[in-house]
Amino acid sequence: MAATPTPLEVRNIKKRFGDTEVLKGLSLQAQKGDVITLIGASGSGKSTFLRCMNLLEQPDDGDLIVHGEPIRFKTTKHGREPEDWKQVVQMRAKLSMVFQSFNLWAHMTLLENIIEAPIHVLKKPKKEALEHAHALLDRVGLTARANAYPAQMSGGQQQRGAIARALAMDPEVMLFDEPTSALDPELVGDVLKVMHGLAEEGRTMVVVTHEMGFARDVSSQVIYLHQGLVEEAGPPDQVLGNPQSPRLQQFLAPKY
Amino acid sequence: MIDLQGYGPRLIEGAGVTVQLAVLSLILAIILGLLTASAKMSRNWFLRRTATVYTTLIRGVPDLVLMMLLFFGGQIGVNAISDMLYYSYDIDIYINFNAFAAGVLTIGFIFGAYMGETFRGAFMAVDNGQIEAGKAYGMSSGLVFRRIRFPQMMRHALPGLSNNWMVLLKTTALVSVIGLTDMVRVAAEASRATHEPFTFLLPVAVAYLLIASVSEWIFARLQKHYDIGFGGQ
Repeated sequence: MAATPTPLEVRNIKKRFGDTEVLKGLSLQAQKGDVITLIGASGSGKSTFLRCMNLLEQPDDGDLIVHGEPIRFKTTKHGREPEDWKQVVQMRAKLSMVFQSFNLWAHMTLLENIIEAPIHVLKKPKKEALEHAHALLDRVGLTARANAYPAQMSGGQQQRGAIARALAMDPEVMLFDEPTSALDPELVGDVLKVMHGLAEEGRTMVVVTHEMGFARDVSSQVIYLHQGLVEEAGPPDQVLGNPQSPRLQQFLAPKY
Repeated sequence: MIDLQGYGPRLIEGAGVTVQLAVLSLILAIILGLLTASAKMSRNWFLRRTATVYTTLIRGVPDLVLMMLLFFGGQIGVNAISDMLYYSYDIDIYINFNAFAAGVLTIGFIFGAYMGETFRGAFMAVDNGQIEAGKAYGMSSGLVFRRIRFPQMMRHALPGLSNNWMVLLKTTALVSVIGLTDMVRVAAEASRATHEPFTFLLPVAVAYLLIASVSEWIFARLQKHYDIGFGGQ
Protein backbone atom coordinates (compact mmCIF):
# COMPACT_ATOMS: atom_id res chain seq x y z
CA MET A 1 0.00 0.00 0.00
CA ALA A 2 1.36 3.38 -0.96
CA ALA A 3 1.96 5.81 1.85
CA THR A 4 -0.85 8.34 2.03
CA PRO A 5 0.29 11.95 2.27
CA THR A 6 0.02 13.70 5.61
CA PRO A 7 -3.43 15.35 5.65
CA LEU A 8 -2.23 18.59 7.20
CA GLU A 9 1.13 20.00 8.07
CA VAL A 10 2.02 23.53 9.11
CA ARG A 11 5.54 24.70 9.79
CA ASN A 12 6.79 27.73 11.62
CA ILE A 13 3.66 29.87 11.26
CA LYS A 14 4.12 33.50 12.24
CA LYS A 15 1.48 36.16 12.36
CA ARG A 16 1.36 39.70 13.61
CA PHE A 17 -1.53 42.13 13.99
CA GLY A 18 -0.01 45.58 13.87
CA ASP A 19 2.71 45.72 16.49
CA THR A 20 1.73 42.54 18.32
CA GLU A 21 3.20 39.29 17.23
CA VAL A 22 0.46 36.78 18.02
CA LEU A 23 2.05 33.66 16.53
CA LYS A 24 5.78 33.33 16.93
CA GLY A 25 6.54 30.24 14.91
CA LEU A 26 4.08 27.38 15.39
CA SER A 27 4.18 23.98 13.77
CA LEU A 28 1.85 21.04 13.76
CA GLN A 29 1.45 17.81 11.89
CA ALA A 30 -1.84 15.95 11.72
CA GLN A 31 -1.54 12.34 10.53
CA LYS A 32 -4.59 10.47 9.44
CA GLY A 33 -6.83 9.78 12.43
CA ASP A 34 -5.07 12.24 14.72
CA VAL A 35 -7.10 14.40 17.06
CA ILE A 36 -5.00 17.37 18.04
CA THR A 37 -6.36 19.73 20.65
CA LEU A 38 -5.05 23.24 21.08
CA ILE A 39 -5.49 24.66 24.55
CA GLY A 40 -4.38 27.87 26.18
CA ALA A 41 -5.64 31.05 27.76
CA SER A 42 -7.52 33.57 25.62
CA GLY A 43 -4.99 35.62 23.72
CA SER A 44 -2.58 32.71 23.45
CA GLY A 45 -3.14 32.64 19.69
CA LYS A 46 -4.86 29.26 19.41
CA SER A 47 -7.82 30.45 17.32
CA THR A 48 -5.60 32.56 15.09
CA PHE A 49 -3.36 29.53 14.59
CA LEU A 50 -6.36 27.44 13.55
CA ARG A 51 -7.57 30.18 11.19
CA CYS A 52 -4.15 30.26 9.54
CA MET A 53 -4.57 26.59 8.65
CA ASN A 54 -7.32 27.33 6.11
CA LEU A 55 -6.03 30.82 5.38
CA LEU A 56 -8.95 32.74 6.86
CA GLU A 57 -5.98 34.60 8.30
CA GLN A 58 -2.88 35.08 6.19
CA PRO A 59 0.26 34.00 8.04
CA ASP A 60 3.21 36.35 7.63
CA ASP A 61 5.61 33.46 7.46
CA GLY A 62 5.64 29.66 7.49
CA ASP A 63 4.52 26.76 5.32
CA LEU A 64 1.17 25.13 4.88
CA ILE A 65 0.98 21.70 3.30
CA VAL A 66 -2.39 20.08 2.74
CA HIS A 67 -2.49 16.44 1.62
CA GLY A 68 1.11 16.69 0.53
CA GLU A 69 0.57 19.82 -1.53
CA PRO A 70 2.37 22.96 -0.35
CA ILE A 71 0.43 26.22 -0.70
CA ARG A 72 2.38 28.74 -2.75
CA PHE A 73 2.77 32.28 -1.43
CA LYS A 74 3.96 35.55 -2.87
CA THR A 75 4.76 38.89 -1.31
CA THR A 76 2.74 41.93 -2.35
CA LYS A 77 2.52 45.46 -1.01
CA HIS A 78 -0.34 44.23 1.19
CA GLY A 79 1.93 41.59 2.72
CA ARG A 80 2.26 37.89 2.10
CA GLU A 81 -0.54 36.37 0.07
CA PRO A 82 -1.32 33.10 -1.62
CA GLU A 83 0.00 33.08 -5.15
CA ASP A 84 -2.97 31.25 -6.57
CA TRP A 85 -6.38 31.67 -4.96
CA LYS A 86 -7.71 28.71 -6.95
CA GLN A 87 -5.28 26.52 -5.07
CA VAL A 88 -6.53 27.99 -1.78
CA VAL A 89 -10.15 27.36 -2.73
CA GLN A 90 -9.35 23.72 -3.55
CA MET A 91 -7.39 23.36 -0.33
CA ARG A 92 -10.22 24.77 1.76
CA ALA A 93 -12.67 22.29 0.28
CA LYS A 94 -10.54 19.56 1.88
CA LEU A 95 -10.60 21.14 5.34
CA SER A 96 -13.98 21.94 6.78
CA MET A 97 -14.30 24.30 9.66
CA VAL A 98 -16.74 24.37 12.55
CA PHE A 99 -17.01 27.84 14.04
CA GLN A 100 -17.58 29.05 17.57
CA SER A 101 -20.66 30.99 16.48
CA PHE A 102 -21.85 28.20 14.14
CA ASN A 103 -22.17 30.48 11.09
CA LEU A 104 -24.82 28.38 9.44
CA TRP A 105 -26.08 30.42 6.50
CA ALA A 106 -29.06 32.25 7.87
CA HIS A 107 -31.05 32.45 4.63
CA MET A 108 -31.02 28.71 4.06
CA THR A 109 -32.71 25.84 5.84
CA LEU A 110 -30.52 23.36 7.66
CA LEU A 111 -30.83 20.90 4.77
CA GLU A 112 -29.92 23.60 2.24
CA ASN A 113 -26.93 24.52 4.39
CA ILE A 114 -25.67 20.97 4.28
CA ILE A 115 -26.02 20.44 0.53
CA GLU A 116 -24.81 23.93 -0.45
CA ALA A 117 -21.06 23.38 -0.68
CA PRO A 118 -21.21 19.74 -1.87
CA ILE A 119 -23.36 20.87 -4.82
CA HIS A 120 -21.70 24.16 -5.68
CA VAL A 121 -18.11 23.46 -4.67
CA LEU A 122 -17.69 19.70 -5.05
CA LYS A 123 -20.20 19.59 -7.95
CA LYS A 124 -22.00 16.60 -6.51
CA PRO A 125 -25.32 15.66 -8.10
CA LYS A 126 -28.17 17.05 -6.02
CA LYS A 127 -29.74 13.67 -5.40
CA GLU A 128 -26.51 12.26 -4.01
CA ALA A 129 -25.95 15.35 -1.85
CA LEU A 130 -29.46 15.07 -0.45
CA GLU A 131 -29.04 11.40 0.41
CA HIS A 132 -25.78 12.11 2.18
CA ALA A 133 -27.33 15.09 3.98
CA HIS A 134 -30.21 13.04 5.30
CA ALA A 135 -27.84 10.38 6.59
CA LEU A 136 -25.79 13.07 8.35
CA LEU A 137 -28.86 14.71 9.84
CA ASP A 138 -29.84 11.36 11.24
CA ARG A 139 -26.38 10.94 12.65
CA VAL A 140 -26.40 14.26 14.52
CA GLY A 141 -30.00 13.72 15.60
CA LEU A 142 -31.57 16.54 13.61
CA THR A 143 -33.76 14.75 11.08
CA ALA A 144 -36.80 16.57 12.42
CA ARG A 145 -35.14 19.97 11.94
CA ALA A 146 -34.12 19.53 8.28
CA ASN A 147 -36.38 22.31 7.06
CA ALA A 148 -35.81 24.71 9.95
CA TYR A 149 -33.86 27.92 9.49
CA PRO A 150 -30.86 28.43 11.80
CA ALA A 151 -32.66 31.22 13.68
CA GLN A 152 -35.35 28.74 14.65
CA MET A 153 -32.87 26.30 16.20
CA SER A 154 -31.14 26.22 19.58
CA GLY A 155 -27.40 26.82 19.75
CA GLY A 156 -26.70 23.15 20.31
CA GLN A 157 -28.83 22.17 17.32
CA GLN A 158 -27.11 24.78 15.17
CA GLN A 159 -23.69 23.50 16.13
CA ARG A 160 -24.62 19.88 15.46
CA GLY A 161 -26.05 21.07 12.14
CA ALA A 162 -22.79 22.86 11.43
CA ILE A 163 -20.91 19.63 12.10
CA ALA A 164 -23.19 17.84 9.64
CA ARG A 165 -22.43 20.59 7.11
CA ALA A 166 -18.72 20.02 7.69
CA LEU A 167 -19.04 16.25 7.31
CA ALA A 168 -20.94 16.64 4.04
CA MET A 169 -17.67 17.77 2.46
CA ASP A 170 -15.96 14.44 3.28
CA PRO A 171 -13.08 16.51 4.61
CA GLU A 172 -9.49 15.36 4.98
CA VAL A 173 -9.27 17.30 8.21
CA MET A 174 -11.92 18.98 10.34
CA LEU A 175 -11.02 22.21 12.08
CA PHE A 176 -13.02 23.10 15.20
CA ASP A 177 -12.75 26.63 16.55
CA GLU A 178 -14.02 26.52 20.15
CA PRO A 179 -17.16 24.66 19.06
CA THR A 180 -18.80 24.64 22.49
CA SER A 181 -17.80 28.05 23.84
CA ALA A 182 -20.93 29.85 22.69
CA LEU A 183 -23.30 27.19 24.02
CA ASP A 184 -25.35 27.04 27.18
CA PRO A 185 -23.80 24.49 29.55
CA GLU A 186 -26.64 22.00 29.17
CA LEU A 187 -26.20 21.96 25.38
CA VAL A 188 -22.46 21.31 25.40
CA GLY A 189 -22.84 17.57 26.03
CA ASP A 190 -24.72 16.79 22.82
CA VAL A 191 -22.11 18.52 20.70
CA LEU A 192 -19.21 16.84 22.50
CA LYS A 193 -20.91 13.48 22.04
CA VAL A 194 -21.02 13.98 18.29
CA MET A 195 -17.35 15.03 18.27
CA HIS A 196 -16.45 11.99 20.36
CA GLY A 197 -18.06 9.77 17.77
CA LEU A 198 -16.07 11.47 14.99
CA ALA A 199 -12.82 10.93 16.84
CA GLU A 200 -13.67 7.28 17.38
CA GLU A 201 -14.34 6.64 13.70
CA GLY A 202 -10.88 7.95 12.90
CA ARG A 203 -11.57 11.46 11.62
CA THR A 204 -8.56 13.72 11.51
CA MET A 205 -9.37 16.72 13.66
CA VAL A 206 -7.72 19.85 14.99
CA VAL A 207 -9.74 21.25 17.86
CA VAL A 208 -9.35 24.53 19.71
CA THR A 209 -11.17 23.99 22.98
CA HIS A 210 -11.59 24.82 26.64
CA GLU A 211 -13.13 21.41 27.33
CA MET A 212 -10.32 19.67 29.20
CA GLY A 213 -12.35 16.50 29.61
CA PHE A 214 -12.72 16.23 25.84
CA ALA A 215 -9.02 16.95 25.34
CA ARG A 216 -8.10 14.25 27.84
CA ASP A 217 -10.46 11.60 26.47
CA VAL A 218 -10.05 11.85 22.72
CA SER A 219 -6.85 13.66 21.76
CA SER A 220 -3.85 11.92 20.34
CA GLN A 221 -1.92 15.10 21.03
CA VAL A 222 -2.48 18.16 23.20
CA ILE A 223 -0.70 21.40 22.47
CA TYR A 224 -0.62 24.09 25.13
CA LEU A 225 0.00 27.55 23.67
CA HIS A 226 1.19 30.56 25.57
CA GLN A 227 1.67 33.95 23.93
CA GLY A 228 2.05 32.54 20.45
CA LEU A 229 4.48 29.77 21.32
CA VAL A 230 4.12 26.08 22.15
CA GLU A 231 4.75 25.76 25.85
CA GLU A 232 4.05 22.05 26.14
CA ALA A 233 2.93 19.39 23.69
CA GLY A 234 2.44 15.66 23.80
CA PRO A 235 -0.06 12.92 24.56
CA PRO A 236 -2.86 14.02 26.90
CA ASP A 237 -1.83 11.92 29.90
CA GLN A 238 1.56 13.62 29.76
CA VAL A 239 0.50 17.23 29.07
CA LEU A 240 -2.70 17.23 31.10
CA GLY A 241 -1.75 14.53 33.61
CA ASN A 242 1.74 15.67 34.41
CA PRO A 243 2.21 19.31 33.37
CA GLN A 244 5.78 20.54 33.67
CA SER A 245 5.61 24.30 33.41
CA PRO A 246 4.15 26.32 36.30
CA ARG A 247 2.03 28.20 33.78
CA LEU A 248 0.31 25.08 32.49
CA GLN A 249 -0.07 23.79 36.04
CA GLN A 250 -1.83 26.98 36.92
CA PHE A 251 -3.92 26.90 33.73
CA LEU A 252 -5.15 23.42 34.59
CA ALA A 253 -5.71 24.07 38.28
CA PRO A 254 -9.33 24.29 39.47
CA LYS A 255 -10.42 27.92 39.24
CA TYR A 256 -12.49 27.95 42.42
CA MET B 1 -65.79 59.31 -18.09
CA ILE B 2 -63.25 62.04 -18.82
CA ASP B 3 -63.11 63.18 -22.41
CA LEU B 4 -59.44 63.03 -23.39
CA GLN B 5 -60.24 64.73 -26.70
CA GLY B 6 -58.32 62.28 -28.79
CA TYR B 7 -55.16 62.43 -26.69
CA GLY B 8 -55.85 59.05 -25.05
CA PRO B 9 -53.65 56.87 -27.28
CA ARG B 10 -50.74 59.32 -27.08
CA LEU B 11 -51.04 59.48 -23.30
CA ILE B 12 -50.91 55.70 -23.11
CA GLU B 13 -47.92 55.71 -25.41
CA GLY B 14 -46.30 58.29 -23.15
CA ALA B 15 -46.99 56.15 -20.11
CA GLY B 16 -45.24 53.29 -21.92
CA VAL B 17 -42.21 55.53 -22.46
CA THR B 18 -42.22 56.47 -18.79
CA VAL B 19 -42.33 52.86 -17.62
CA GLN B 20 -39.68 51.65 -20.07
CA LEU B 21 -37.42 54.54 -19.23
CA ALA B 22 -37.82 53.99 -15.51
CA VAL B 23 -37.26 50.21 -15.63
CA LEU B 24 -34.22 50.38 -17.91
CA SER B 25 -32.73 53.20 -15.83
CA LEU B 26 -33.32 51.14 -12.69
CA ILE B 27 -31.47 48.17 -14.16
CA LEU B 28 -28.54 50.39 -15.15
CA ALA B 29 -28.60 52.09 -11.74
CA ILE B 30 -28.51 48.74 -9.93
CA ILE B 31 -25.55 47.55 -12.00
CA LEU B 32 -23.69 50.84 -11.46
CA GLY B 33 -24.64 50.81 -7.80
CA LEU B 34 -23.23 47.31 -7.25
CA LEU B 35 -20.03 48.31 -9.05
CA THR B 36 -19.77 51.53 -7.04
CA ALA B 37 -20.32 49.73 -3.75
CA SER B 38 -17.66 47.14 -4.65
CA ALA B 39 -15.26 49.88 -5.70
CA LYS B 40 -15.81 51.75 -2.44
CA MET B 41 -15.10 48.63 -0.42
CA SER B 42 -12.11 47.67 -2.55
CA ARG B 43 -8.60 47.97 -1.17
CA ASN B 44 -7.49 49.51 -4.46
CA TRP B 45 -6.94 53.20 -3.84
CA PHE B 46 -7.79 54.28 -7.40
CA LEU B 47 -11.13 52.44 -7.45
CA ARG B 48 -12.16 53.89 -4.09
CA ARG B 49 -11.22 57.38 -5.23
CA THR B 50 -13.09 57.08 -8.53
CA ALA B 51 -16.23 55.87 -6.80
CA THR B 52 -16.09 58.72 -4.31
CA VAL B 53 -15.67 61.33 -7.04
CA TYR B 54 -18.62 59.80 -8.89
CA THR B 55 -20.99 59.86 -5.94
CA THR B 56 -19.92 63.33 -4.82
CA LEU B 57 -20.37 64.71 -8.32
CA ILE B 58 -23.82 63.21 -8.75
CA ARG B 59 -25.08 64.24 -5.37
CA GLY B 60 -23.83 67.79 -5.79
CA VAL B 61 -25.19 68.62 -9.24
CA PRO B 62 -28.92 68.97 -10.06
CA ASP B 63 -30.39 66.09 -12.09
CA LEU B 64 -31.68 68.47 -14.74
CA VAL B 65 -28.25 69.98 -15.33
CA LEU B 66 -26.66 66.54 -15.55
CA MET B 67 -29.30 65.39 -18.00
CA MET B 68 -28.75 68.32 -20.34
CA LEU B 69 -24.98 68.02 -20.01
CA LEU B 70 -25.08 64.37 -20.97
CA PHE B 71 -27.58 64.84 -23.78
CA PHE B 72 -25.97 67.85 -25.46
CA GLY B 73 -22.47 66.75 -24.52
CA GLY B 74 -23.26 63.28 -25.83
CA GLN B 75 -24.41 64.65 -29.18
CA ILE B 76 -21.26 66.77 -29.46
CA GLY B 77 -19.15 63.73 -28.62
CA VAL B 78 -20.91 61.56 -31.19
CA ASN B 79 -20.53 64.27 -33.81
CA ALA B 80 -16.84 64.60 -33.06
CA ILE B 81 -16.38 60.88 -33.50
CA SER B 82 -18.26 60.75 -36.79
CA ASP B 83 -16.30 63.78 -38.06
CA MET B 84 -13.10 62.07 -37.12
CA LEU B 85 -14.17 58.89 -38.91
CA TYR B 86 -15.12 60.90 -42.00
CA TYR B 87 -11.91 62.90 -42.26
CA SER B 88 -9.49 60.16 -41.25
CA TYR B 89 -11.03 57.05 -42.72
CA ASP B 90 -13.57 58.46 -45.16
CA ILE B 91 -16.35 56.64 -43.38
CA ASP B 92 -19.55 58.62 -43.66
CA ILE B 93 -22.00 57.94 -40.89
CA TYR B 94 -24.36 60.15 -39.01
CA ILE B 95 -25.40 59.04 -35.58
CA ASN B 96 -28.27 60.80 -33.93
CA PHE B 97 -27.73 60.74 -30.22
CA ASN B 98 -30.95 59.06 -29.24
CA ALA B 99 -32.96 60.96 -26.65
CA PHE B 100 -34.31 57.78 -25.09
CA ALA B 101 -30.84 56.31 -24.67
CA ALA B 102 -29.64 59.62 -23.26
CA GLY B 103 -32.50 59.57 -20.77
CA VAL B 104 -31.75 56.01 -19.65
CA LEU B 105 -28.03 56.74 -19.41
CA THR B 106 -28.48 59.93 -17.42
CA ILE B 107 -31.07 58.63 -14.99
CA GLY B 108 -29.20 55.36 -14.58
CA PHE B 109 -25.99 57.26 -14.03
CA ILE B 110 -27.57 59.55 -11.42
CA PHE B 111 -29.28 56.82 -9.47
CA GLY B 112 -26.31 54.50 -9.72
CA ALA B 113 -24.61 56.84 -7.26
CA TYR B 114 -27.48 56.66 -4.78
CA MET B 115 -27.76 52.89 -5.22
CA GLY B 116 -24.04 52.65 -4.55
CA GLU B 117 -24.51 54.11 -1.09
CA THR B 118 -27.52 51.90 -0.43
CA PHE B 119 -25.65 48.75 -1.46
CA ARG B 120 -22.49 49.66 0.42
CA GLY B 121 -24.38 49.99 3.68
CA ALA B 122 -26.25 46.77 2.98
CA PHE B 123 -23.08 44.80 2.20
CA MET B 124 -21.50 46.03 5.40
CA ALA B 125 -24.53 44.89 7.39
CA VAL B 126 -23.95 41.24 6.41
CA ASP B 127 -22.37 39.30 9.27
CA ASN B 128 -18.78 38.51 8.44
CA GLY B 129 -19.10 35.00 9.90
CA GLN B 130 -21.53 34.12 7.11
CA ILE B 131 -18.94 35.06 4.51
CA GLU B 132 -16.11 33.31 6.35
CA ALA B 133 -18.18 30.14 6.40
CA GLY B 134 -18.49 30.37 2.62
CA LYS B 135 -14.75 30.82 2.19
CA ALA B 136 -13.97 28.04 4.65
CA TYR B 137 -16.06 25.63 2.57
CA GLY B 138 -14.07 26.27 -0.56
CA MET B 139 -16.30 28.82 -2.26
CA SER B 140 -14.63 31.18 -4.71
CA SER B 141 -15.31 34.87 -4.13
CA GLY B 142 -17.76 34.85 -7.03
CA LEU B 143 -19.68 31.98 -5.49
CA VAL B 144 -19.66 33.62 -2.06
CA PHE B 145 -21.12 36.73 -3.68
CA ARG B 146 -23.83 34.90 -5.58
CA ARG B 147 -24.89 32.45 -2.88
CA ILE B 148 -24.32 34.36 0.37
CA ARG B 149 -23.33 38.01 0.14
CA PHE B 150 -25.96 39.09 -2.38
CA PRO B 151 -29.00 37.25 -0.96
CA GLN B 152 -28.15 38.37 2.58
CA MET B 153 -27.41 41.93 1.54
CA MET B 154 -30.72 42.36 -0.27
CA ARG B 155 -32.86 42.49 2.85
CA HIS B 156 -30.84 45.45 4.06
CA ALA B 157 -30.81 47.11 0.65
CA LEU B 158 -34.48 46.79 -0.27
CA PRO B 159 -35.89 49.66 1.82
CA GLY B 160 -33.35 52.08 0.32
CA LEU B 161 -33.73 50.51 -3.11
CA SER B 162 -37.48 50.96 -3.12
CA ASN B 163 -37.09 54.54 -1.97
CA ASN B 164 -34.60 55.25 -4.75
CA TRP B 165 -36.95 53.63 -7.25
CA MET B 166 -39.83 55.91 -6.28
CA VAL B 167 -37.64 59.00 -6.69
CA LEU B 168 -36.26 57.62 -9.96
CA LEU B 169 -39.76 57.05 -11.31
CA LYS B 170 -40.66 60.68 -10.72
CA THR B 171 -37.34 61.91 -12.08
CA THR B 172 -38.26 60.44 -15.46
CA ALA B 173 -40.65 63.37 -15.83
CA LEU B 174 -37.58 65.55 -16.49
CA VAL B 175 -36.85 63.85 -19.81
CA SER B 176 -39.25 66.11 -21.67
CA VAL B 177 -36.52 68.78 -21.64
CA ILE B 178 -34.37 66.62 -23.90
CA GLY B 179 -37.25 66.03 -26.27
CA LEU B 180 -38.59 62.69 -25.08
CA THR B 181 -42.33 62.30 -25.25
CA ASP B 182 -43.23 60.74 -21.95
CA MET B 183 -46.69 60.99 -20.48
CA VAL B 184 -45.97 64.29 -18.73
CA ARG B 185 -45.00 65.92 -21.97
CA VAL B 186 -48.12 64.64 -23.75
CA ALA B 187 -50.27 65.92 -20.89
CA ALA B 188 -48.57 69.31 -20.95
CA GLU B 189 -49.07 69.66 -24.71
CA ALA B 190 -52.68 68.62 -24.45
CA SER B 191 -53.31 71.03 -21.58
CA ARG B 192 -51.89 73.91 -23.52
CA ALA B 193 -53.86 73.08 -26.64
CA THR B 194 -57.20 72.55 -24.91
CA HIS B 195 -56.85 74.89 -21.91
CA GLU B 196 -58.06 72.04 -19.71
CA PRO B 197 -55.06 71.14 -17.58
CA PHE B 198 -56.89 68.99 -15.05
CA THR B 199 -58.37 66.73 -17.69
CA PHE B 200 -54.86 65.60 -18.60
CA LEU B 201 -52.77 66.11 -15.51
CA LEU B 202 -55.07 64.25 -13.13
CA PRO B 203 -54.95 61.00 -15.14
CA VAL B 204 -51.18 61.38 -15.28
CA ALA B 205 -51.01 61.76 -11.50
CA VAL B 206 -53.20 58.69 -11.11
CA ALA B 207 -50.99 56.74 -13.51
CA TYR B 208 -47.89 57.57 -11.45
CA LEU B 209 -49.71 56.53 -8.30
CA LEU B 210 -50.72 53.28 -9.93
CA ILE B 211 -47.16 52.47 -10.97
CA ALA B 212 -45.97 53.38 -7.47
CA SER B 213 -48.56 51.12 -5.83
CA VAL B 214 -47.70 48.18 -8.05
CA SER B 215 -44.01 48.63 -7.29
CA GLU B 216 -44.67 48.87 -3.58
CA TRP B 217 -46.45 45.56 -3.78
CA ILE B 218 -43.51 44.03 -5.68
CA PHE B 219 -41.02 45.40 -3.16
CA ALA B 220 -43.06 44.04 -0.26
CA ARG B 221 -42.96 40.59 -1.89
CA LEU B 222 -39.21 40.85 -2.42
CA GLN B 223 -38.68 41.95 1.16
CA LYS B 224 -40.61 38.96 2.37
CA HIS B 225 -38.53 36.69 0.16
CA TYR B 226 -35.18 38.04 1.37
CA ASP B 227 -36.28 38.12 5.02
CA ILE B 228 -36.75 34.35 5.09
CA GLY B 229 -34.60 32.86 7.79
CA PHE B 230 -34.16 36.14 9.62
CA GLY B 231 -37.20 35.79 11.85
CA GLY B 232 -39.23 37.84 9.40
CA GLN B 233 -41.68 35.16 8.37
